[in-house]
Amino acid sequence: MSIRLDDVCVRLGDVDVLRDVSLRLDGRTVAVVGENGSGKSTFARLLGGLVARTAGELSILGLDPARQAAELRHRIALVFSNPDAQIIMPTVAEDVAFSLRSNRLRSIEVRQRVTAELDRFGLAALADRSSHDLSGGQKQLLALCGAFVRRPELVIADEPTAYLDARNARRVADHLFEDGGHRLVLVTHDLALAERCDQAVLFAEGRVAAVGAPDAIIAEYETILRC
Amino acid sequence: MLSLYRPGEGRLHRMPAGPKTLLLLVLVLGVSLLPSAWWAAAAAATLSILAYVLAGLGGGMHELGRQLLAIRWVIVITAASQLIFLGPEQAVANTARVAAAIVLAALLVLTTRVSALLDAIERGLGPLARFGLDPGRAALLLTVTLNTIPVLAGLARDIRDAQRARGGRADLRAFTVPFLVMALKHADELGDALAARGVR
Repeated sequence: MSIRLDDVCVRLGDVDVLRDVSLRLDGRTVAVVGENGSGKSTFARLLGGLVARTAGELSILGLDPARQAAELRHRIALVFSNPDAQIIMPTVAEDVAFSLRSNRLRSIEVRQRVTAELDRFGLAALADRSSHDLSGGQKQLLALCGAFVRRPELVIADEPTAYLDARNARRVADHLFEDGGHRLVLVTHDLALAERCDQAVLFAEGRVAAVGAPDAIIAEYETILRC
Repeated sequence: MLSLYRPGEGRLHRMPAGPKTLLLLVLVLGVSLLPSAWWAAAAAATLSILAYVLAGLGGGMHELGRQLLAIRWVIVITAASQLIFLGPEQAVANTARVAAAIVLAALLVLTTRVSALLDAIERGLGPLARFGLDPGRAALLLTVTLNTIPVLAGLARDIRDAQRARGGRADLRAFTVPFLVMALKHADELGDALAARGVR
């Protein structure tokens, strides 16, 4: 997967949120699991360039987020748990098109890509609807659509199914796991989703507790949960 | 502005956003500069009706009615205060001018997608780039500001609902503190969302 961390630390205020994290992630899909406050979301934000490391070395897709942030942002996409916070534009089609604004594409190409992506996510009929009037599930699909229209090499999703019912959670997960040439880092509390990944990482108290096959990592996590 | 846009293929819909903005700006200025006379009130009303009929909105008069209904309190308050202090002719004329200016301005957002408007603003502000203004950033600021209005309204509704659920009475302080906290949290998340979409 080309994600490499060597002794990476992240300090937010007075708190060491990530401590001496060293990882090599090669799976196409990687699950990140752990209890609340274990550092999972900070790890996702670190990969997405939203927080800076305070120590260590980090390489994502061969780029250093600290020095090559702009280039990295063109190659990755982030999806968060709260879909409301991800909506920028007033209508569905405009919101998806907003993701391409920094690409400086011709308007016809923007329209074609937006139409194709809305079709793929089952949102074509809602193209002119107000983004804020959508249901929670539709909003999260819109957020995914806005992420995928940029054709990212790496998608980082932080609990993207947290607010969704079972049907919408499955639809969102299916899109995330679809093999469209992208790689996926999925932060989740849903262990069934984690099981679908090629590789899993378990975080505990800001450190990597284990890395490996999802079933082994989930078993280890469940042991921790029983203690 | 956020939910006013009506998809359509009418004359104004097809008109590019830049010239349309200028045209409506001229009409609004024209109405605003009319004198306070009976004929001016009639002229403002006629212009508004003609504009809605010719715009090709589909149900133009119905849409005009909706817009007037939306600003009914502006009309009532303007008319009442003018009637008290200035007399009937000036009250009717001034209220008609204010109402006409608002409904004519509304035609812009009824027939123009926000993205097209922003592109026009970005192009319009282009010459100011030499003075250090970033037109793209200014247009983005406008977008984010507009789109934050319904979000803040939703947060306010959630807080009021939460207070009612716990049997709380309307209390400005009890409302303001959580509202500010949630608004700041939203601002933080919005910053992340913009970064996630490749905006620096």
